[in-house]
This record gives sequence, C-alpha cells and structure tokens, in this order.
Amino acid sequence: MSVKKLLSYWIMGWLLCFTTSIDAAEKLPNHIKWETNDTAPVWADPNAKKGGTFRDTIPTFPLTIRMFGPDSNGSFARVLRRNQLRLISYHPDTEEILPQLATHWAFDDDRKTMYFKLDKRARWSDGPLVTADDFVFGLEFMRSKHIVSPWYNNFYTKEIEKLVKYDDHTIAIVATKPDPDLPELVKDLLPQPKHFYGELTKDFVRKYNWTIKPNTGPYFIDKIKKGKSITLKRKKDWWAKDLKYFKGRFNVDKIIFTVVRDQSTVFEYFKKNKVDYFSLTLPSYWHEKAKNLDIHQKGYAKKHWFYTNSREPPIGFWLNEDKEVFKDRNVRHAFAHAMNVEKLLKTLLRGDYARLHNVTTGFGKYTNPQIRARNFDIPKVEALMTQSGWKRGNDGIWIKGKMRYSVRVTYTSDTHTARLAFLKEEAKKAGVELNLQRLDGSAAFKSFLEKKHDVAWMGWSTGFRPQYWGSFHSVNAHKPQTNNITNTDDPEMDQLIDSYRKASQTSERIKLAHAIQEKVHEIGSFVPAYKVGYFRAIYWRWWQLPRVPATRSSESFFDLFADDYGTGGLFWLDPEIKKETQQAMKTGKRFDSKTLIDNTFKAN
Amino acid sequence: MTSYFIRRLLLVIPTFLGITLVVFTITRLVPGGPIERIIAQARQMNMSEGNTSGGSSLQDDSPLSPDQIEELKKFYGFDKPILISYLDWLGKILVLDLGVSTRYYDPVWEIIKDKLPVSAYYGIVTTILTYLVCIPLGVLKAIKHKSFIDSTSSIIVLIGYALPGFIVAIILFVWPAAQWDWFPLGGFISEDFEDLTLAEQIWDVIHHSVLPLIAYMIGGFATMTFLMKNTLMDHLASDYIRTAIAKGLSFRSAVFKHAFRNSLIPLATHFGNNISLFLAGSFLIEKVFNIDGLGLLGFESLVERDYPIVLGVLVITSILGLLGNILSDFCVALVDPRVKFD
Amino acid sequence: MRLDPLTLKKIRRFRSIKRGYYSWLLFGLMLLLAFFAELWINNRALLVYYEGQIYFPTYGTMMPGNTFGLEYAYETNYRDLQKKFQQEAGDNFVIMPLVPYNAFEMDLRETEFPPFPPSWKDRHYLGTDTIGRDMVARLVYGFRICIIFSLLLLVVTFAIGIALGCLMGYWGGKFDLFFQRLIEIWSSVPFLYIIMIIASIVVPSLTILVLIYVVFGWMGMTWYMRTTTYKEKARDYVMAAKALGASNTRIIFHHILPNAVSLIVTFVPFSVAGGISGLTALDYLGFGLPPPTPSWGELLQQGTNNLHAVWIVASTVTALVVVMVSITFIGEAVREGFDPKLHSTFE
Repeated sequence: MSVKKLLSYWIMGWLLCFTTSIDAAEKLPNHIKWETNDTAPVWADPNAKKGGTFRDTIPTFPLTIRMFGPDSNGSFARVLRRNQLRLISYHPDTEEILPQLATHWAFDDDRKTMYFKLDKRARWSDGPLVTADDFVFGLEFMRSKHIVSPWYNNFYTKEIEKLVKYDDHTIAIVATKPDPDLPELVKDLLPQPKHFYGELTKDFVRKYNWTIKPNTGPYFIDKIKKGKSITLKRKKDWWAKDLKYFKGRFNVDKIIFTVVRDQSTVFEYFKKNKVDYFSLTLPSYWHEKAKNLDIHQKGYAKKHWFYTNSREPPIGFWLNEDKEVFKDRNVRHAFAHAMNVEKLLKTLLRGDYARLHNVTTGFGKYTNPQIRARNFDIPKVEALMTQSGWKRGNDGIWIKGKMRYSVRVTYTSDTHTARLAFLKEEAKKAGVELNLQRLDGSAAFKSFLEKKHDVAWMGWSTGFRPQYWGSFHSVNAHKPQTNNITNTDDPEMDQLIDSYRKASQTSERIKLAHAIQEKVHEIGSFVPAYKVGYFRAIYWRWWQLPRVPATRSSESFFDLFADDYGTGGLFWLDPEIKKETQQAMKTGKRFDSKTLIDNTFKAN
Repeated sequence: MTSYFIRRLLLVIPTFLGITLVVFTITRLVPGGPIERIIAQARQMNMSEGNTSGGSSLQDDSPLSPDQIEELKKFYGFDKPILISYLDWLGKILVLDLGVSTRYYDPVWEIIKDKLPVSAYYGIVTTILTYLVCIPLGVLKAIKHKSFIDSTSSIIVLIGYALPGFIVAIILFVWPAAQWDWFPLGGFISEDFEDLTLAEQIWDVIHHSVLPLIAYMIGGFATMTFLMKNTLMDHLASDYIRTAIAKGLSFRSAVFKHAFRNSLIPLATHFGNNISLFLAGSFLIEKVFNIDGLGLLGFESLVERDYPIVLGVLVITSILGLLGNILSDFCVALVDPRVKFD
Repeated sequence: MRLDPLTLKKIRRFRSIKRGYYSWLLFGLMLLLAFFAELWINNRALLVYYEGQIYFPTYGTMMPGNTFGLEYAYETNYRDLQKKFQQEAGDNFVIMPLVPYNAFEMDLRETEFPPFPPSWKDRHYLGTDTIGRDMVARLVYGFRICIIFSLLLLVVTFAIGIALGCLMGYWGGKFDLFFQRLIEIWSSVPFLYIIMIIASIVVPSLTILVLIYVVFGWMGMTWYMRTTTYKEKARDYVMAAKALGASNTRIIFHHILPNAVSLIVTFVPFSVAGGISGLTALDYLGFGLPPPTPSWGELLQQGTNNLHAVWIVASTVTALVVVMVSITFIGEAVREGFDPKLHSTFE
C-alpha cells in the first residue's frame, strides 16, 4: 500500500469522526423495519444456582489485559474479549440473531447499512450508560494508530464506511459495499468507554497494559497477581442478568485462573482437588492417564464426552505448487493417496478424531457433502506416478530424471511430531519420502507466507462463512505475505471465487461454494487430515450442567463465554452435593461411577 | 597489586561490550521478534475473526503494508541500524535502565527483580552446602587415602560428577517426587503458601527445595572434593609438614593448623566462579522442577523472543561472572599472602 | 606403531587402575555393538533363503517385497515374511536379528495402544516409546548418533585448540593478547542460548550442530594448550634446543607438541562426555536433531511426560548413567595414568 493511500485512509478516518458528530442531527429513514428476537429457545438452565468459586488454570500468564495492540491475542485475552457484549449475537444452535447491546435492528435496502436501537439499560461496569457516543468512539478507537493494531486499523477503514448517530440510543453502521452477511461484518464493532480513555495518545500500549478498563460483560477483573493468577468476580447487579438469553448463565461468583505451566501438572492438581476440571480431549489422557482414576471409580468426579458440530479448521497438508515436484497434478493426488490418515486415526489417535474430507467442513449448507478425501492406496499412487513418468528408485522412493519424491514437511507443534513420524513411515511404502522440519511458530509462519515450504502442515482458523479468495485466488499466488500458501493459480478457480465474492443471493453463494470446494479437491494441493469434533473432560460431581450440557460450537463445558458471541457460562455449583461429596471423600463412601457421552450434535 | 586489580577491572569493560554486542547482534538478525509476532498474529486473527463473506473480509488482503511495518519497527525501535540501536541500548544500561520487555511492557528490571530471590536462594544455599560437604569430605579422604571410605566415596562422587545436573534432576523428579510421592512435583512454594504459618512456610520451602538442591550440588561435589583432597595431600607430603611433625607437632594440628589453611587456596579460586551460578542457576534444572528463577526466565524469554529480558539477564550474569573472576583472584591473594600479581 | 617406553608405562599404569580399565572394556564393547547395530537391531533380516537363493538384506539397497514373491513394491516386511515361510513349512526361511525392529518403525496394533511395556514375546526387550517404536533400537541408534557427534566435535575442537593454542603460547605478544580477549568474550556468550536461537530458525543437521558447537566451544582446549605451550617454552630443554639452532617448526613439532599432547589425552574422555550431555540436553529441550532421529534427549522428554510408562525414562536414564559413569571412570584412570605426578601418601 502506498503512503498516499494510507494517508487518504487517515484523512478519511478523521473526516468520518468529524462528520459523525455533525451527522448527529441526521434523521432516521422511514422505510426501515425494526426487528428483534424474543422467541428463540434458551439453551441455559434457568434454574441454575448462583454462587461458588471456580478454579481454572492457564498455561502462561497473559502478556497484557489490553484487548488491542501487540500481544493482545493470547488465550486469556480471548476470555477478556468475550467478557463484553456486542450489539447482537447469534443463537448457538440455530444461528438466528439475538439481541445483546442492541434490542432492535434493521436493514436498509442497499444491504450496506444496518440500524441498531441500543438497550437503554446497558451500563459500563463503572456506572455510566452505554450510549451511541461510545460506539462513535469505538470506531475512532479501532482506526487509531495509537492502539498499534494495524490489522484493525485496516479493517475498520476499508470495510466500514461510517457510523451514524441518530440519537443517544440509535445508530447505523454503514459498510463500504453491499454484503449478504452484513450482521457478521458489523457486530464486532464494540463500544469503547470514552469517559475512561479520554483522548488516545502514543503511550496507549504501555499505559493500558495492566489497567482494568470498564466493560459490559457479566464479570470484572478483581485481582491480578502478576505471573501467578487472575481473579474475575461476578457483577452482582449486572444489568443484563435477568434478560431472557442470560438467565441461568454466568453463575459462579468468582473464577480464579492460576498459571500452571504444563498439562501433566494441571492433571496432578485436579486429582488433588486444587482445580475444578481437567480436559481429557487428548486421546492419551482419556485412554491412558485418566483411565483408572480412583476419584472417578469412587464417583467423586464425572467423565463427560461431548460431540460438537461446528466449523472445523482445515487441518492437513498444504502443498506448494511452485515447487517442481508439485507442479504435476498427478503427483499431488499421489501425495494424498500416500498419506495413511485412516490408520493414523485408528491407531495412534485411538479412533477418537475423525477424517476431514473437505476444506470447508461444518459450515452447514455451505459444505459440499459429496467431497470425500482421497484414501491411502498404494496401487493408485503407483498408477498416478507411472502415468506421469516416474519410477521407483533403489530405495523404493519415486524418481524422475533428477527429481526425487522427497519433500520437507514444515510444522510447529511438538504434539504433532508422533503423528507425522507415523505418516512418514507409511508414506515410505508408497514411495514418498517426508522429511520433518519442526520450526518455532513464528518462524514457520514466516516461511509459509514467503512460500519457502514444500509442504506445510497446519490449519487455518475459521470464520462465520467459508472464504477462498485469500487462500486460493491467483492474485495471491507466487508472492510473499499472502495466504495462498499453496500458490494455487487456476483461471477457473479465479472465476468461481470472483463470482462467489460478488454473489448477493445466499443460494447462489452456496452453489458457488460447493463448486469451489470441488475445484479445491480436484486441484489437490490441500490434503485434508482430521478434525477433532468433540471435547471431553473430567470434573468434580458437584458441578452441574444443563440437560444439553454445551452448545454445538462450544469448546469446553466450563468455558465462561464459549465463543465470540459469548454463549457459554452454563455451569453452576450445587453446594449440597459439594458438601455431601467432600464428606464422602473423607469417609471413603462411594457413589456411582459416571461416564457420560452426549451425542446431541454428533456429526455422522 | 592494587594496580593489577584496577587493570583487571578496566579490562572488564571491553569484554562486557564484546559479549553484549555479540548477543545483541544475533538477537537482531534472527526472525521471530515482536514484529514478526504481530504479523503472524494479525493473520491468525484474520482467520479467527476474519468474519463474514469471502468478498468483504480482510482475511483476503495482505493486511500489513510496508508503511505499517515501518511504523511497528519504529514502535519497537527496530528502525535503526544495529550499531546505533546497540549504542542506544548501551546508553540506557549506563544509567541502569534495562529497558522494557517486549511482551509484558514492564520494566525488565522489575521482572528480573521478582525472580532474583528464588535464584539467589538456590545459589547461596548450594554454595554453602557444597563447601560444607566437600571440605570435610576432602580432608577425610586425604587422611584416609586409599582406605575403603576413600574409594567408595570416590565412586559416589564420581557418579554424581558423571551425570549432567538435569539428568539428576530428572531422576529425582521421576522417582522421589512423582512415583513415590515423597516430595512435591516442582515449584518453589505451594499454591497456598500465603495461608501457612511461618513454621509451615519454612518447611514448605525446604520440602520444595531438597531435590533441586541435590541436582544443583551434585555436579560440583567431585571437583571440590578432589581439589580439597589433592591439594591437602600435596601439602601433607611437603617438606614443611614433615618438618613440623618431626619437630613434635601432633599430626592433627599439622593437618588443621598448617596444611588445611594452605589447601583452601584453590577452593577460594572457585568461590568467584560460583558467584554467577548464584543467580544464573541452571535453566535446565529450573525447567525440570518448574522453579520460577532467573534461568527459566532467560529461557522463556529466549523462546518467546523477548530480547530486552534476554539481554537484561545477560547483563546481570555476565557482569557477575566477570567480577567473580576478579574476586577469585582477590580471594587467593587474601588467603595466600605469597601470591603476587603483576 | 612403535610406542616409546614412557607411553607404554603410562598405558600399563592405566591398565592397572581396574575401575577405569574395565570401564574402558565395557565402553569399547558398547561402541562396537553400536557401530554394528544393523546386525542385531534391524527390521531387515540377517539372511533370507528363498527358492534356492540366499539373500543378505542387512546392508545395501532395500529389497522390495516382490523379490520374495510378495505383492508389494516397497521394502519387505521380514517379520511377516518369516511368519509366512513358517506357515508354508517349505524350505524357505528367514533369520531375523535379535531385535527385529529398527529405530523408526512403529509397532501398532488394532486393539492395544502404545507405549507397550517390556515384553520378551514381542521382542521389545525394553518396551516401546509412546508411539510404538522399540526402546532398544531407539537407545542404541541414539547412542551411535550421540557418539558420532561427540567424536566429530572432539576432533575439530582439538585440532583448532592445539593449533591455535600452540601458536598463542609460542608467539605470545599481540597475537596472544588478541585471542585472549576474544576467548574471554566468546566464553561468556551464553552458548546454549545461541544454539537455541539458531535451532529455532533452521532445523539443524548433525554437521550444522557440530559446527555451532565448535564455533562456541573451541576456547577451552585452546586456552589449555596455550598455557601448556607457554610453560613448556620456558623450560630449559626448549631453551637448549633454541640455542642449538633448532627451527621454530622443529621445536614445536618435536619438543613442545609431544609433551603437551600426553597431557591433552587426559581431556579426551571428558570432552566426549561433554558432547553427549550437550546433545542430550538440546534434544531434551527440543532444539536438537530433527525428529524422528532417535535421541536420548527426546526419550527423556517423552519419559518425563509419560510417567505411567516408567520403562521409557527408566531405561534411558540407566543407559545414560552407565555411559556417563564409565566414561568418567575411564577419564579418571587416564588422568591418573598419564599424569606424571604421583600422590605420595602420608604414613
């Protein structure tokens, strides 16, 4: 981007802030139709009891409690980020729009503007009401250079044209272009407490690194013991606590996050009742380390397995088509047939994980169900390779002229070493040699973006709707710093993606998405590996959950806020059961040993 | 002799500059610093929050323009050539400002200060215990040379010497701590330390530190013990002791009044070397036992590319190391008036 | 090679120190076993007799399954082949090595999941690691890599150390002073830090790792050599040789080096031990050789994280203790044998 362009954004940004205040006099158009939603099913248990302390752990102490700027994207920052309400949210199961800070919303016919009526009860934790000015400031905030978040700066300059204030509790957000998923685009614009920040200055990053700022969510930060723990407390008179979609949620009074560096120590802590739950999602824990636990057999703690069904990150091998070997489509397809993912799932992963078939999985109608991943199949590898003129060399690895089918697989996580080592041994049988290269996260990412890798083993995180332009459009191929790490360069693909981006009808987009997924499969530069598709945990029996213990897209039973829309916080503590259990633990009395499996959302 | 020490002290300066310049340069040349982290995070963020439809989402763009990256470089002070920013950094060191962590945005000194007591505790206790064990053992071995006690203790000490400290730490962690449950599984103090009474607190610290201390000490035992033994034997075999005994001095006082004192000289030279160990510790042992000391801090900062902290830890340990060397010489001069430096 | 009587005497003295001598024999045996590990720990058969022909698959290129009438073109699974021949009860037979696994393949089963405990029946004498690779194979091949690393490191650092140290000690002056400063600076650079920084951006191969270690590890030997040369140079016989008109080269090669080298020998075992523990530590931290290279450090890492499979950490620790202790005993004996100073005992 040129300096000029950046400058123009700047000027635009300032102008906007300026104009919004003038716009205050603007009148609300008459043709819009206000909508709200008070009929959606509730997913929490309205009879949940309030009270108690929940003891959780975090692997590292957060680097900051700012929610913006450098290092504000760690796992704990996510907790903080979700501890504030948005204009609207989605129902976790049906995905219909639900009110949060806005009670009503409306769309303009141009599909560019969305109007909101703010809830007049909404309050900041330090007292003042949440008003339209906080949203005006919120946009100014996101565009400010002082928050050192160039990504946000870009996004809110390029995607949002302006924010219009009609009165203290009515606003409109205008996007730069029409969008069929407009709510998704605008809902993340958070109000910022102007009364707290005042003017933003250059020292923002340092000044607010450990400053607790007012929020709109159910909890506030009570205590920070640097390097050791962070305590959140429930706001006793939280303004939204009796609203329909918040009833029975956010029940515990206090949550303590203690830093415990590694998983095995957390497990020890759990067994000694110093922590309230332990995640057993990893196969090695569920099947081995937590197999014969005394506390489980005596019934003091429950094991619980919950199948989810939501957007799955595309985890697998991303082949770099710019490398000589992968220029040939047959060779790419052979690669897929040489990966014995099925056996990996059955043996090392104990059959817990499921095969991933499609780059777009779990996106509802947007997912093309026809696409099946290529299976491990040595005869097919042999047919494809000989067709392209390759021969098996002395060591069984395919050769053609000076080329040898030996590729480097770059990955980042230690836990994946065993899995890749397994695939490496199996691939040898099919005549493909994998050389494993584990790099530190940022170094690996750098090499992917610079397209220096042969094969990248990774997954992208997912958005609300599938997206393809960044990863598969030829505009982003053959140059550094773009997400097209496969260097996919296919005119038909380009055409499909362009129409997908332009399509304004949902049905048309779905059709195009299916076609794109087919194309991705045909090109074969992404080899899908597996999806987890569940989570499970062991927790003390005094913790209670609703009948359906979590939502379709939850990540844990005990996630306070669950996802970006804050649909979690469903658990509560039953003090009677706690007392009873603690007594039993002293006397050695037993309860029924319980292992629950919930299939409500299980995908086939 | 004063001039010798002054000269030694002055030589510390170029050495210190050399060390810091080398490490500073390396940290600058290596990718993965705060800027790369922001770029990488921005992209993952694109993925997780790159909401909405293919068309409008930012995921699809190259989010950071060169200008924005320049801005970031300026923010972290990476926009200047290495030598200039090294001089900047050095200038701050001179006024005792170690800079600000690029992760926590806290002053480096504050972070280091938090960890110092833990490291100092282990360093000091290790040193004291090592001397307390090695000197008597060395004396005993010298007097009872080639006896049963001598050879068995030699074997034990040698085995301790043979094993790297972190292997010993692993052994102690796996068996006495994890399998047999005799000791806590690492850490410096218990979670509920603040709720304990003073006596319980003291016990808690001791209980936590027994195993790490063994791991720390075991490597040093052999060197110290053998040094003590060998020098003492040299002295006992020397003419002046023979003369003293021939003149009617008891063996006992010959050993303790004459030979012993002279034998401490080489041990004294070791004292200075221990100074840096006082604080730096061994991050491997700290890692095994999950002790929140300076070593682990250095290690984690390195892995996380928090270079101001890495350099801060380096400054402190290298200064202590260099001063320790001089202190060693000084101790020698103190113990042995014959030693002259020129 | 003709040894002069003095050296012979030293060797005799070394042999008279039983602890060191037996350690040396043990260590020698371990080296031998490790270097010919393919013959006793391998998934390739020692000998296959098939249709009247004898095959020796151990060394050389891989033999695809169709060589032996199997239906695949990849490396023969000799364990299965052995079972097949036994079932057929014909003349064909396969002789497998003692441990019929290599260090990479995973023994995975349909109903059980690794790590498998030691089992005589499955011929996993020390069990398997967490992904079903044989522990004996991992340990022995890991040891071999470790030793190769240490020996390479030893040769290079000693070569540099002896050459540079000798020159520093002999020439003295500005040259000496320059390298003195350099060494002081260089040895204060936190060397493990540097290795970790480098290892996180490039995946180190054995050569790269040796190179890095040499770059930051040549100082010790150099320093020692310098001091020795310095001392030797000041001794009367060198003076005499000089007075007689001997050239510098002659003095260095005929007088100083032979004397210094007999002292340097005593450093060899400790240097090997240092190499082993260095590489193990790096692998333990995850900054060493890339997976799936067999390595002790990686096994320690696995073992400490999987304490329920205690055989992993137990056998690795035992192996380490045996190797390190025997090297130390050798080192102690070498030092005593080659050190001219005999301790007189007080009676």
